[in-house]
Amino acid sequence: MNSSVFTSRRLISPEQMLGSRWWWGPGLAVAALIGAASLFADPYLAYVASSWIIFGLLGLSLDLVWGRSGILSLGQTAFYGIGGYLGGIAAINLSELAGGTLVWSLPVGALAGALFAALVGGLIFYSRIGTLQATVLTYALTLVLWTAAVSFKITIGDAVVGGDNGLSDIPGFVSFTGEVMDPKGTFIVVLTVATVVLMLVQALLRTPFGTILSCIRMNPTKAELLGYDIRYYQLAVFSLSGAIAGLAGALYGSWSNYLSPSIFSPQEALLVPIYVLVGGRGTLIGPFVGAVVVGGLSFWLGGGVIGGQTTLIMGLGLIVLVLFLKRGILGTIMDVIATGQGSIRLNRTGGSVDDHASSLKIDLAQLRGLVGRRGANQPSLRSEGAVKRFGGVTPVKNISQSFSLGRVHCLIGPNGAGKSSFLRCCTGFYRLNSGSVFYGKEEITRWPMFKRARAGIGIKTQAAQVFDEFDVYTNLWIAAYRHHGNAAEAHIHSEQMLRMLGLMAKAGKPASELSHGEQQWLDIGMVLCTAPSVLLLDEPAAGMTGEETRHLSLLVRILAQEVVVVVVEHDMEFIRTLDAEVTVLHQGAVFAQGSIDDLRKDERILDIYLGRREHVRDL
Amino acid sequence: MTLDYIAIAILSSLSTASILLIATLGLAIVFGLMGVINLAHGEMIMFGAYAALLSTRLGVPFPLAVLLATGATALFGAVVEILIIRRLYGRMLDTMLATWGLSLALYQSAVLAFGSVTPGIGMPQMTVRIGQYGVSAYMVFLIFVAVSCVAGLFWLLTRTGYGIMARAAIADAETASAIGIESSRMNTVTFALGAGLAGFAGAILLPVFPATPSMGFALAIKAFLAVVVAGPLPLSGTVTAIGTLGTAGGITSSIWSTAAGDLFFFGTTILILRLWPNGISSLWRYKL
Repeated sequence: MNSSVFTSRRLISPEQMLGSRWWWGPGLAVAALIGAASLFADPYLAYVASSWIIFGLLGLSLDLVWGRSGILSLGQTAFYGIGGYLGGIAAINLSELAGGTLVWSLPVGALAGALFAALVGGLIFYSRIGTLQATVLTYALTLVLWTAAVSFKITIGDAVVGGDNGLSDIPGFVSFTGEVMDPKGTFIVVLTVATVVLMLVQALLRTPFGTILSCIRMNPTKAELLGYDIRYYQLAVFSLSGAIAGLAGALYGSWSNYLSPSIFSPQEALLVPIYVLVGGRGTLIGPFVGAVVVGGLSFWLGGGVIGGQTTLIMGLGLIVLVLFLKRGILGTIMDVIATGQGSIRLNRTGGSVDDHASSLKIDLAQLRGLVGRRGANQPSLRSEGAVKRFGGVTPVKNISQSFSLGRVHCLIGPNGAGKSSFLRCCTGFYRLNSGSVFYGKEEITRWPMFKRARAGIGIKTQAAQVFDEFDVYTNLWIAAYRHHGNAAEAHIHSEQMLRMLGLMAKAGKPASELSHGEQQWLDIGMVLCTAPSVLLLDEPAAGMTGEETRHLSLLVRILAQEVVVVVVEHDMEFIRTLDAEVTVLHQGAVFAQGSIDDLRKDERILDIYLGRREHVRDL
Repeated sequence: MTLDYIAIAILSSLSTASILLIATLGLAIVFGLMGVINLAHGEMIMFGAYAALLSTRLGVPFPLAVLLATGATALFGAVVEILIIRRLYGRMLDTMLATWGLSLALYQSAVLAFGSVTPGIGMPQMTVRIGQYGVSAYMVFLIFVAVSCVAGLFWLLTRTGYGIMARAAIADAETASAIGIESSRMNTVTFALGAGLAGFAGAILLPVFPATPSMGFALAIKAFLAVVVAGPLPLSGTVTAIGTLGTAGGITSSIWSTAAGDLFFFGTTILILRLWPNGISSLWRYKL
């Protein structure tokens, strides 16, 4: 392989991949300015159009968490309303002091939204509440605030929050010189704030942080198995989205000079996903397009956005959008452009998937430099009396087993023997009901998955887990980045891994287009990129050709010199080539141990595999 | 604080919890058996309330009106399942969004059709007296209704062909269809059952909760939280969750104030979710 391959167009770094549409933001802002310039003849329209941009900003806050991070929040208007109220109170009391109104209301609004979102997000993510339940909670929160705001009365300085009467006399857009801006000035300020926020969000998503968020959206379990603390990332993005919503709320308060509890109403909340869906989910700029389209339609077709039959139309509209318009306006445009360039990247049903993986050329000479922990400690993994129960089923009954450096360890046993479940107990995917797990000298029984992965326990799960929408390179890069914490080193590491796996030619292909065997290799490569000192391989040879299996065997044996390797397999010939210490599991407990040749002589093992005689209890 | 007072406080807490249980069961059944959270559940309760109200205005006796309302809402639920839910199978978040759209469309339809305030039908003027304290007989009757609902559902899910097939289809849709159970038809029936229970709740609670377009939101907040706290088991989980949240909240509110009761309710919800993030019944061995 010569190095020119690395500089070829195929190798796109995640930053480039996510950033390839960076010009959308400023581009559309300029377009909006030009469009607005022609509207300036009508100040009323400029005034109304400002609110569309504010709603777009609110939509952006949802797109960030839902489109990019996979968390559907129906509580964005809660952060929006709180930002609006608190930003308004700040503006009322402090604008006399210095520097116009927005200097006070915007930071206070953003901060209030962020803190409140952090509080809610902390509960949801750090308790690991399920996705559906999280959505229900955000909605319940909005409804609670709506009910509470109606009777909530408080006076803070000059600001009077009057329950049903809301908060009035919020100062409008006042410049530094103390002048009240006209509608055109207001529009320009709102557009500027929105453009800056949008560009900051886009810049953030071009960083590794954004790549990790996308990984969490595609496969949270895999992201955590690579060692990422997904709760932290989810909480961070949720708080950021709360800040954006709060900022939008503060802008809205200044724009309308008045806020009422209806800002928390479900009618208001319903509009947010509509903006996102109309514009195109995950596009970030889409919510602005959606807000302008929805706002424009209701402006020119008559009736305010909220009032009359609008809620009825919006409600039915949401159903229709969800059922029929999956990609939104911008998504559809992007699809058309992509088709024009002949590069539909995610054509899952198309014939682009290779069914055999003969193109792989494993280059094991590359391997030595890639693995091995620098620690002086002898790595080992040990369980004592591990028990895992699910209702009436106990897949792991009582396993005390120790794996240390030296020979490869193999776990065999008939289906349902508890092999995969045991590995899941080791990685922390399952918490033990009783017993304990040790890593070296440390007890890790209660450690979460990411902490175990960071300490050096890596697993290739039974079904290969890759990040479908990312290309092969990015998949490896994201794993290496967790280990190095540095984009440049991760780049070098993942290139070496690509070369070792012989996947260089496919570096730019989405992982979803790889064959089953190639995905297995990619997954193994990802785990190796995290430089584990204990490597668990669950059925690694499944889907591989004979040639590949031979490579795999060699790979595992080389690895075993530096790393503790535990292999779960059904392929006895493969196990024989590993010269392994074999443990037979049966009905959730260790049944026998020895070399594969010793075990072959053991009649009892044939019995349990064939399900005959007294070793098989009735289930 | 006398013994009478404690007795009456417990009785009224039980009836408050029963109201919540009646309002939640339909949501819980649909969530437990289909994995769908129906955000239009509150508006289906409202649908039932208006159906019952209109029937009584036409001179139908109240018990019959309750039956009519239940049937009408169930039918409506079946239509919703066929037109919307079925097409979004496997897209959980999209299903929620669609039912949310439905929720607001129904709310606004009710505003347009009936205005925002409608007269109630009034509670039967009987009271149960304990010592010097009294509680409305209808509230006590609702405890009986809640218990009957749970018992009826238990019977339906364990003793009838539908119940056994529905549970089979949930356990393993593929195997179930291989042995001739049409899981899509099961889903229609299950969703209709959930909607019917919502309609029943709206109708039977009509003397307590007058029909208004926004009644759904008010009733749904606690129902949503209760289902999240309950977890996947529609009967045992829901009864436990509401037994804990509702009764404790009810006692708190009868000792201090309604606001304190609500605060207690939400606080307990958060506490339970910290301990059992997927609901208290998520790890139970029992499966109903």
